[in-house]
Amino acid sequence: MKGEPVVAVRSAVRSPSGAPPLGEGNGWRGLLEERAAKAARKASMADRAAGLVFKAAAAVSLAVLAFIIGIILVKGLGTAVRPSFLFGRPQAMKEGGGIGPMFISSLYLTFLTTVIVVPLGVGAALYLAEFSRDGRLVRLVRWGTESLSSISSVVFGIFGMVFFVIYMRLSYSLLAGALTLTLMNLPTVMRVTEESIRAIPWSYREASLSLGASRWETARRVVLPAALPGITTGAILTMGRIMGESAALVYTVGIFVRKPPLSPLQPAAPMAANIWHLYTEGALIPDWMRVASGEAAALLVLVLLLNLGAGALARVIRKKMGIVQ
Amino acid sequence: MAGPTAHSWAGGPVNPFKGQREAAIRWTLRICALTSVVGLVLMVAFLLRESLPAWKEAGLANIFAYEWNPDKGRYGILIFLAGTLAVSLVSLLLGAPLALATAIYLHAYARPAWRRVIGKGLEVLAGIPSIILGWLGFTTLVPLVRRLAGGTGMGILPASIVLAVMILPTVATIARDSLDAVPESFAEASFSMGATRWQTLRRVIIPTAWPGIAVAMILGLGRALGETMAVAMVIGPATAFPRNLTTPTHTLTTKIMLEMGESTGVHRSSLFAMALVLLALSMLLILLVRLLSRKAVREFSGGVLTC
Amino acid sequence: MKGKDGFAVKHWRALGLALLIPFLVSPLLLAASGCGGGGDASEPAKKGLKGSLKLSGSTTVLPLAQQAAEMFMDENPDVTIDVQGGGSSVGISNVSEGVVDIGMSSRNLKKEEEGLGLVGHRIALDVIVIITHKDVPVEDLSPEQVKDIFTGKITNWKQVGGPDLAIQVVVRDKASGTREMFDEKALKKEEPKAGAIECNSNGLVRQTVAGTPGAIGYVSLGYIDGTVKALKYGGVEGNQANAEAGKYALSRYLYLFTKGEMGELAKAFIDYILSPKFQREVVAKEYIPVVK
Repeated sequence: MKGEPVVAVRSAVRSPSGAPPLGEGNGWRGLLEERAAKAARKASMADRAAGLVFKAAAAVSLAVLAFIIGIILVKGLGTAVRPSFLFGRPQAMKEGGGIGPMFISSLYLTFLTTVIVVPLGVGAALYLAEFSRDGRLVRLVRWGTESLSSISSVVFGIFGMVFFVIYMRLSYSLLAGALTLTLMNLPTVMRVTEESIRAIPWSYREASLSLGASRWETARRVVLPAALPGITTGAILTMGRIMGESAALVYTVGIFVRKPPLSPLQPAAPMAANIWHLYTEGALIPDWMRVASGEAAALLVLVLLLNLGAGALARVIRKKMGIVQ
Repeated sequence: MAGPTAHSWAGGPVNPFKGQREAAIRWTLRICALTSVVGLVLMVAFLLRESLPAWKEAGLANIFAYEWNPDKGRYGILIFLAGTLAVSLVSLLLGAPLALATAIYLHAYARPAWRRVIGKGLEVLAGIPSIILGWLGFTTLVPLVRRLAGGTGMGILPASIVLAVMILPTVATIARDSLDAVPESFAEASFSMGATRWQTLRRVIIPTAWPGIAVAMILGLGRALGETMAVAMVIGPATAFPRNLTTPTHTLTTKIMLEMGESTGVHRSSLFAMALVLLALSMLLILLVRLLSRKAVREFSGGVLTC
Repeated sequence: MKGKDGFAVKHWRALGLALLIPFLVSPLLLAASGCGGGGDASEPAKKGLKGSLKLSGSTTVLPLAQQAAEMFMDENPDVTIDVQGGGSSVGISNVSEGVVDIGMSSRNLKKEEEGLGLVGHRIALDVIVIITHKDVPVEDLSPEQVKDIFTGKITNWKQVGGPDLAIQVVVRDKASGTREMFDEKALKKEEPKAGAIECNSNGLVRQTVAGTPGAIGYVSLGYIDGTVKALKYGGVEGNQANAEAGKYALSRYLYLFTKGEMGELAKAFIDYILSPKFQREVVAKEYIPVVK
């Protein structure tokens, strides 16, 4: 290593010949001692300074988060908690509108997408983790999944528009949006599920197989239940992502409806997409900024609940199943 | 590797159709797994189909030209490409140092309680919808930039600030994971020679973990590249080359987002062409990440301190 | 695996329930929102029309169509009318592709759109007004000045009698019918300057102009409010009276386009918009009626 000695040499041991202790102005030995002591002091000062810098950085990160949540809630929570707002009808040109249909759209879309993407993702992850050998197919699937996870949301949105809305003739609908979001979130669900499955000790499977169960029966009765906490966490995290998604939904689901959607084939207006609508075309409503702030606060609260609830739910499931991991 | 199908180990009756059922289930799962590949192929196919008129009309060279004017048949996307790169790189510049510092804190300086709290905080930050960050940028950041720097307050600067906040969790968590992945023996050896924490970090841990850290930054860049809503609300927009940080401009994502609903014909096809360019960019980044990840594995195997 | 055996089955049910909750809650919320909206459930249905309509297109026509949809749905509770924006071009392409039933447009068909079998229905005359940020003291601009400002030849307010303040030009996006009309009539088919901010709705133009000192833009009459300042064009104020009298140059028709044979519901809706009552009560507020 170049430069000053990294290491601090300190010795309180007297040399065997009884010579005076080191570091007391005794020629080259003393010089070396001094240099080493100086280096040690510099190093510890640098260490303390570095420690402060990194602690400050973490504090700043936390502060940014607190600021964002704080300001959104302060500006919008007052509006959002009123039932007349949360479940009320939206106005197109007058003030006093609510976000009832948007709220339901978000819930409906989240439910629909989750119901499609979780079984697909779990099935795919199961295949990758339990049922396959590491061959060409597996490598292809992994490459495809990784690529899919890197693609921008607006690209998914316009693909959803040309494929589901126009080509498959679904028109602007919850189903078109759900299918688009399925494609977007499949990599995440697959990844989380596969991680949970791989974390299960091989002994579980051995025990089951040795009792005569087939691969599938093992998967169904042993592996999946054991992986459940992880799968649940993944599902709820995905729900949070779906609630917050807007770019992919503007051209597939819709951005404004007057009545709540009753069937998956109807257009809807998830809250995140509706905020976009308010930003671009809501200017006719005199109090559009209030509505948008309220909607943003409501959305944030929902997303936070999902995010924090995921961890809590996983812990509850783990405890109940007595899994020690 | 299917289990016994005809005879049970302990003897006794066994479902004779188990083998077939097993095979059927295996196929079902295989189809599930292939969904992602099929989806990707469909995406590329349909994007190509929709963008074909643009490629035919303008040709490859002209698509990457400077001038954008659909009325005159010009479909150069250079302005938007520049906007995308500018916004992503500046956001990385602003956000990566903070993210890396936070990661180092989590790895080396944090007490277990704080590690959990800040780790969870990063998760929560990652989950905040981009539209909310864009809304915040529009209502709070843009007026601030307007007051400090004059002009419209919209442009690359506010967009990069918002993006930096968005990529902070991504870069921080992946960097922290790669720092945590460095074998403990490396650090122990360094401490046993009397090095301080910072010295160990600087000369041992970080250099060893650098491929992982590079991956973290590239993934952050990828996220910034593809972000749409948050950027669209603070960038102007304007079809003008980003001369400086506070002039309104466009990125590939915002151009697609804002004009897709309003365009027809070759104009629309050129937007799909832009989407293809975005797709190619993100897949390029993934390739880079794979190469770097392989390098990271090589550095750790062997357990020998490489200086 | 330690733990109670029965839980393996119970937790699947629990998970399923947890996922079903939003789905179960929605109908309850539906009922709540229906009742909270103004008691239209208590009014007897005046007409027996059923079905759903989808509209998309110009953001200038949007408020009009939304208002009409609201009133039409109040009179026909079994009907659902859905109105989305997107711009004139997308309204026209959507209706020609069958994605929506009616396409809203603030311009007539372009040459390349003429062979698509679309039928246009004029529903109102719209007035475009030039707006600026509130702090700009200029009251009136000549057509020449307007053209020079938007094309970039004039870049500072002091050149037209205002303070020393840079002009920020705000226009609509390329596929907007409003922009097309403005480019044709006010700019004499010239291009707006390169650094102009492009907003893809009237609302955004107003917002950007309201928030940016020194900004100038143009919006439909119905979007003017206290946040921006309206300018006279060539000494003439942009309002309904002047447009009807032919004194104000920046006005154009708003259209609804349908393809081929109109469905019964679509025809009823368009007839409703063209009814004297609607034209008088709603259209006349911010636009100029086509039916007296």
